Amino acid sequence: MVTTDNSQDIIAQRRAYNETLMQAQDKTRATWFPIALLALLILLPLLQLTGTNYNYVIHLTLYTMCYVVMASGWNILGGFAGYISLGHNVFFAVGGYVAGMLFARLGISTIILAPFAGLVCAALGYVIGLITLRVRGPSFIISSLALVMIFRIAFENWHFIGGAAGVALPANGLPVEWAKLPYYYAFLAMAAFALWASYKIKHSKFGMGLRAISVDEIKAESAGIDTRFYKVLAFALSAFFVGMAGAVWGEYLTYIRPNIFLVILISVNMVLMCILGGKGTVAGPAVGAILIIAFNEFFVATLGASTVNILATGVIMAIALIFFPLGLVGTLARHRKLPRILNWD
Amino acid sequence: MLEVKNLCKYFGGIHAVDGCSFTAERGKITALIGPNGAGKTTAFNCISRTMAPTKGEVWLDGERIDGLRPHKITHKGLSRTFQISRNLADMTVLENVICQSQVRGWRDLFRPAMSPEEIEKAMGILEFLGITRIAHEDGSNLSYGQKKLMDLAALLMSDPKIILLDEPAGGVNPTLMEEIVDHIKKLNAQGMTVLIVEHNMELIMRLCDRVVVMAQGRVIADGTPDEVRSDPAVLDAYLGGVLDEEAA
Repeated sequence: MVTTDNSQDIIAQRRAYNETLMQAQDKTRATWFPIALLALLILLPLLQLTGTNYNYVIHLTLYTMCYVVMASGWNILGGFAGYISLGHNVFFAVGGYVAGMLFARLGISTIILAPFAGLVCAALGYVIGLITLRVRGPSFIISSLALVMIFRIAFENWHFIGGAAGVALPANGLPVEWAKLPYYYAFLAMAAFALWASYKIKHSKFGMGLRAISVDEIKAESAGIDTRFYKVLAFALSAFFVGMAGAVWGEYLTYIRPNIFLVILISVNMVLMCILGGKGTVAGPAVGAILIIAFNEFFVATLGASTVNILATGVIMAIALIFFPLGLVGTLARHRKLPRILNWD
Repeated sequence: MLEVKNLCKYFGGIHAVDGCSFTAERGKITALIGPNGAGKTTAFNCISRTMAPTKGEVWLDGERIDGLRPHKITHKGLSRTFQISRNLADMTVLENVICQSQVRGWRDLFRPAMSPEEIEKAMGILEFLGITRIAHEDGSNLSYGQKKLMDLAALLMSDPKIILLDEPAGGVNPTLMEEIVDHIKKLNAQGMTVLIVEHNMELIMRLCDRVVVMAQGRVIADGTPDEVRSDPAVLDAYLGGVLDEEAA
């Protein structure tokens, strides 16, 4: 741009200032923490060697990681682009069925099939996105709910995939204390990948475009951002992660049935986790998944598996959102009080 | 350079823009004026495709652009600001500006959001507009005038050939208005083509090479500021009183 004679100096000073800002930002990041967490989770199954059976701990961790994958995936569309979808369990189901059916017919492990199932979901998400992303706000939410209903009816009446009764999948032949481990590590790898991908997306041109779309789509459009393509791509990417999680989840449960995958609770969970943790942040979905599953387990254990435990979780959610309207991570970051170990953005 | 032919935009029975034709010549500052409701902003929206025109043609450098999607039009070198400053709150001014830097193709999509070159370019633009001190401020914390300047900065980031400014000096204080006028003049001196919608007549008369007057969706006069000033149709439609007083 235009520079007068003495502005070279100023620009040099500015550049130095910008660099210090960047460094300051780098220093607030504690990369060791996610890495340490990952290492801890890799080593967690060693508990099984102590003689006591820790299958419950393994299951709960695995379950949490499954939701970390899904919530992070959902966050790409719901958090970054600001399109709240209540229909993402459709991709959970499609991923589960694609991988599950191939597993039942060809015997290829769903852990290997997961990326493929994810790609199928991404393609499906792309097509669905082309249609439903033309509307935003409440209309989009309703269209996503309609999607669940359509798929529920289709899946329950399609005999090739077992209809409402579903399909039973063979269990792996490992001894009971090791049987969960392949899935455990699969989910761990997917969760790590999902968080890494979230980080990469958030810091790319694409992520910046999505942020712009979430604030003001008309402005984003006139800024030269291909909003339709960005939104649909975000939809496809988020479907990819949810689909991958579904693929392995089916084999882990050893059966696939519409009423496991296509219940509204699963997509609501994804949304609540992101909102509680902080949507649009990288760490938010992970924090939210851990908290919601922990609350659920705690209240099921103390109040029994009745509707009371759901009510208790709801009350906790409500209280949390009064004090943390942007979610835990989001609100703390806004007030610059976010502990360094949770600054994954 | 920019040629608008028989542009129409109907909202049901309301003909907001009704057969509007004019051109904006390269390197000139053209103003689009008219009383409230004349269809100026709607015409702007149709040119930049924020709205789809009902009919009519828009040509940019001999290329028809009225069928293109808005981001394509920006890529072709036509950028606009909005009457009520639209900025991306939650993003810093620097990010707001860099957001407008053009992304083409897949490989571009996943490269880091702000490259050092882009930061440098953006800071250069902010320097030119004299607002480097707010570079790291959140877009939502700015004053109205600062937002207007940020809009202008973001506009320049996309390397436009022609800029459409919708009331760039609307609602800002006189000092800042002078500053904005100054920036527009400087940009124009560098060869930027400008199309401007403005209500401030004094500013228009001082700044513009050509004035297009709209009333009720149609162009009723087109010429130099002086010609338009004395055009009876314009005086009749809307300028009359103001200009008589000025001349006296």
